Amino acid sequence: MIMESYRHKDENELVTASLNGDKNAFGEIVKRYQGMVARTVKGMLGDSVFSEDIGQEVFIKLYYSLSEFRGEAKLSTYIQKIAVNLTLNEIKRRKRFFTMFSQTGNNEMHEYDVADHSSEEKNEATEIVGKALKRMDPKFRIIVTMRMMQGYSTKETAEILDLPLGTVLSRLSRAQGQLKEILKKL
Amino acid sequence: MKASEFKDLLVKALGQENGPEEASRIIREAGVSYGFSDRFSDNILDKIYNPVSVRVREVEFVRNLTLAFYRIALTGVAAIVLLLISIFLMEGSLSFDSFIGLSDTYDESIFYLLTGN
Repeated sequence: MIMESYRHKDENELVTASLNGDKNAFGEIVKRYQGMVARTVKGMLGDSVFSEDIGQEVFIKLYYSLSEFRGEAKLSTYIQKIAVNLTLNEIKRRKRFFTMFSQTGNNEMHEYDVADHSSEEKNEATEIVGKALKRMDPKFRIIVTMRMMQGYSTKETAEILDLPLGTVLSRLSRAQGQLKEILKKL
Repeated sequence: MKASEFKDLLVKALGQENGPEEASRIIREAGVSYGFSDRFSDNILDKIYNPVSVRVREVEFVRNLTLAFYRIALTGVAAIVLLLISIFLMEGSLSFDSFIGLSDTYDESIFYLLTGN
């Protein structure tokens, strides 16, 4: 049970307390940012049990790298970078797996065909967005996830993805076109 | 908001100059949301602060797997012994040929089987 007092602490206080072994402080960090991580991971990988594992991995990795957090960037940006890296790694891993075992040569989708475990709770809009994102090229999907799902600016997206601003802008333009076409066909 | 209405609004927004901002607003207002299970936070804290309990579960899993392997292996060994006994009773010997079912086969018939000539 996370104590009420932690809810009012700022992120630097929570980081310091976590580094001193305060379990509740780290619990508050997880609670505060799990929604953001869910949007990134589930937006990129779909709503499956695997996404939950990746989400957990994000926070475990965060915990073990907290000492490297200097406070120069926002904690949310730091967490987002971890989430993006782990998610992209998972996509690469799936791509390798599917390339190894698939003879169709279909390079478009590399998703495990796992039923959504919370489909009953989701609204129609969430399902439409999920379906559309799944059909997108991962390099465009991540841009849409950052810009439209997370609401980051183009500059922030470039910083999180470690890409030049121009690259993000050009990918965003193409991503918009791709998303539009996919939505029309849905 | 209906699904078709949401889709139309999104398609329209993506065609505009401020597409990403507008799409982001529509997505937010439509209640598009993702979340993890209720136990998400507890599972993470367990893994970090109680690694022993996680380790115990891992050890239990390996132990069960080993147990299952022994059961399967013992059954397999019993089946092989029975097979050897039945071969010995039927063929009167336990040569390698009789074991793999070649005791009654001549070289010519193998050649015919493989080449079709």
